[in-house]
Amino acid sequence: MSSEYVPGLEGVIAARTEISLVDGANGRLVYRGYVIADLAEEMSFEEVAHLLWHGSLPNRSELDALTEELAGSRTLTPAATATIDALPADTDPMDVLRSVVSVQGVEHKLQKPAIPLAIHATASFPTILANFHRRSQGLEPVKPRADLGHAANYLYMLNGKESSPELVRALNTYLVLLADHGMNASTFTARVIASTDSDLASCLVGAIGALKGPAHGGAPSAVMAQLEQIGTADKADHWLREARKQKVRFMGFGHRIYRTYDPRAKILKALCERLNPKFYELASKVEETALAILHEEHPERPQATNVEFYSAGVLQAIGLPTEYFPPTFAVSRVAGWSAHVLEQGANNRLIRPQSEYIGPEPRKPVPLAQR
Amino acid sequence: MTRSRLLQLHCCSPVKTVVDRGSLHLGFVPDFSPGLEGVVAAETEVSEVDGANGRLIYRGGYLIEDLAPVVTFEEVAYLLWHGELPTKTELDALKKQMTPARHLNDAARGAIEAADPTFNPMDVLRTAVSAQGASKGLPKPTLEQAVALTAVFPTVVAAAWRHSQGQEMIKPREDLGHAANLLWMMDGKEPSADRARWVEMYLVMLADHGLNASTFTARVIASTGSDLTSCVVGAIGALKGPAHGGATFAARTMLDKIGSAEKAETWLNEAHARGERFAGFGHRVYRTYDPRAKILRDLAKIESPELHRTAARTEEVALKILHEAHPERPNATNVDFWASVVLTGAGIPKELFTCLFATSRVAGWTAHVLEALKDLRIIRPASVWKGPEPGKKPLPIAKR
Repeated sequence: MSSEYVPGLEGVIAARTEISLVDGANGRLVYRGYVIADLAEEMSFEEVAHLLWHGSLPNRSELDALTEELAGSRTLTPAATATIDALPADTDPMDVLRSVVSVQGVEHKLQKPAIPLAIHATASFPTILANFHRRSQGLEPVKPRADLGHAANYLYMLNGKESSPELVRALNTYLVLLADHGMNASTFTARVIASTDSDLASCLVGAIGALKGPAHGGAPSAVMAQLEQIGTADKADHWLREARKQKVRFMGFGHRIYRTYDPRAKILKALCERLNPKFYELASKVEETALAILHEEHPERPQATNVEFYSAGVLQAIGLPTEYFPPTFAVSRVAGWSAHVLEQGANNRLIRPQSEYIGPEPRKPVPLAQR
Repeated sequence: MTRSRLLQLHCCSPVKTVVDRGSLHLGFVPDFSPGLEGVVAAETEVSEVDGANGRLIYRGGYLIEDLAPVVTFEEVAYLLWHGELPTKTELDALKKQMTPARHLNDAARGAIEAADPTFNPMDVLRTAVSAQGASKGLPKPTLEQAVALTAVFPTVVAAAWRHSQGQEMIKPREDLGHAANLLWMMDGKEPSADRARWVEMYLVMLADHGLNASTFTARVIASTGSDLTSCVVGAIGALKGPAHGGATFAARTMLDKIGSAEKAETWLNEAHARGERFAGFGHRVYRTYDPRAKILRDLAKIESPELHRTAARTEEVALKILHEAHPERPNATNVDFWASVVLTGAGIPKELFTCLFATSRVAGWTAHVLEALKDLRIIRPASVWKGPEPGKKPLPIAKR
C-alpha cells in the first residue's frame, strides 16, 4: 500500500494518543481530558507533568512523592558538568541543552524509557541551563534548592536569588501551557526515535534539535527581535506595511491547526498585560495591525496570533534573557516529549515511511579516470 | 476521512474518535497506518530502495552493486551531496576539505574526556557530535558543514573507543583515506590494504537507504529550520535503537551465542520455541534478498571464513524456520546480519558496530537535510485522540 506524497505529512495520522488533543476547530487544547484553561492557573507544573505521564492528576501523597523525586534529581552528573565546562561561553543555550541532556543520565546499558527516567530528565533541564548561564556570565553555578518548586528553583538557580511569587507563578503558568501540544514536530521527532527502541536521552536530544528550528520553538526570540525593530506602538502600522511589501514574515502569527485564537495565547496575553505593560502596549498594537494586514491579504485564512507572540513578553517580564526563551520552552515540553515516548513504547511499531524517488533511471558508473 | 465524518466526530457523536488533524484544510485524511508504513513522507533523489526488485539505487541512478566494488567512501559522499560522481579534480578538492576537518574541537574533546569509560560509544558519539557542532546562534545547513561533520565522525568514534579502553586519542593522518584513517586512529597502526578496503566497502554500502527512521528523523528536524548538527544528532539517537542501527550488534551477539555452524540448528529451534526474534532477519521494504546483504555475504566468505561458516548455516536454518512459521512473509536476511560478520572480519569491536553505521550514514543524513532545505515545509502530522472526552473538570487536590 502506498499513498500519495503529502508535503509536511499535513493531515496524515501518525499516532493514536491520549496525551493531548489540539482541537483546532474549537480552539481547545486538551491534556488527558482537561481543557488547558482549567489547568493553567490552578495547577503546578509538577501536577501537570504527573497528569501527562500517568493520565490522572496526582493526589496529595502522589504529588509529594513526585516533588521529592524531582527535587532529588536536580544535580548534574560529573560527566554532564564537565561537558558544560567544555563548551564555549557564547554557545547557543539550545546547543548546550542538546549536548548535556545527551550525557546526563547515560548508563552503560540501553535503558528502556520509563517514568523514573522521565522524571530525572525533566528535573535536570533547569539545572543544565542555569549552570551554563551563570558560567557564561563568569559566575559560580548555584546549587538547586530542594524546598523550591520546579519553576521557583529554575529562577533561583539562574539568578542566585529567589524571584517574587508573582513571577514564579507566571513561569509556572507558562510551563503548564507549553507542556504538550499534540503531534508537533519535536514531539513527533521524539516518537520516531522512540520507535527504533532507542533510549529516552536519544529521543529528548532529537526533540531539542527540532525545537531549535525557527518554524517551531525558535520563534519567540524572533518575535522579540521584530518588536524591537518596530520600536513603538505608533510606528507599528507603517513598519508592518513596509515590511509586508518586502515580503517580511510577521513573527508570532499563524499556526497549522488553530482556526480560532490559540487558547494558550489568550492566557499569556492576559498575563503579559499585567506583568509587562510596556511590552503589551507595543505588542497589542502590533498584533491588531498585523492581523488586519494578514486578513486583507488572505481573508480566507484564519490567521491568528500564536503562542510565541505573547510568550516573549511573559518570559521577558520573568527576567529571562532572550536566548533562553527556546530552551525554557524545552524545560516545559520535556514533560510532554517523555510522555509521548512512553506512549509510543507501550504500543510500538517502527516509524519508517516511504519516499518517492525523483532521480534518474539506473545507469552504470564511469571509472574515475574517465570522468 | 470525509468532511461529514469529521463533523460527525466533533458533534456529540457516540464515536469517541477525534482527530487532531494538524491541518487547516478539510480535505482527505487517510486512515491510520501504524509506523507510517506505505505513507510517502518525502520526494527524494538521494536514494531509492526498490524493495520489489531488490535494488538499492544511489543518487544519479547508480545501483549499489555497481558502486560498491569500485568507489571510495569519499566518492560516494560526493555523489550523495552533489548528484554526480566526482572527477579527479573534484575528488581531490573534497579530500583537501575533509582532511583538516578531521580534528576535534575543544568542546568535542572535552565531551569525550568527560564520558565515563563504561558509556556506550553511541552515547559518546551523540554527545561529542553535538558539542563539535555547538555554536552561537542558528547556522543554516550548508554543504561545507556536511563535509566537516562527515569528516569528523571517524575521529570521534576512534577517540570514544580509545577512551573506553583507557588509551590516549590518536591524531588523524592526512595521507590516509577516510576508512584507513579510521582504523589508524583506533589502533595506532596502519591497517592492511585489505582491512581498509573491507571497511570502505561497508561504509559505501550503508551510506544511504531511502527514508529509514534515522534519515526521516533528520528530515523532520530539518523541517523546522533547525541546524545541521541538530539533525545529525537526532539521527544518531534514532540509529541507536535496536530496531534500526543497533541490529548489527544484535546479529553479532546472536552469532556469538550460537557459537558454531554445528550448533545453529538446535539453538535457533530452541530460541524460536521461546518466541525470540532472530536478529538480522526481516525488513519493511525489501521483498527479495537485500542487495547489500548479498555483497557483504560474498565479502565475508573471504575476510571472515570461520564466522562466515556459522553465519551461513544460521541463515539457512533461520530462513527455513521463519518460512515455516510465516510462509506468507518475505522473510529475508537483512544487511545487519552480514554486516556484523564483515565488520568482525575487519577487526571492528562489536561495541562500535552502530558507530560505524553512523560513520557511513552521516553522508546520507546530511544529503537528505540539504535536499529538504530546497523546499522546506514543517513536518507536523496529525494524531487521533484516544483519551477521555474533553472537558472534564479538575478536582482540587484535597478531593483527588
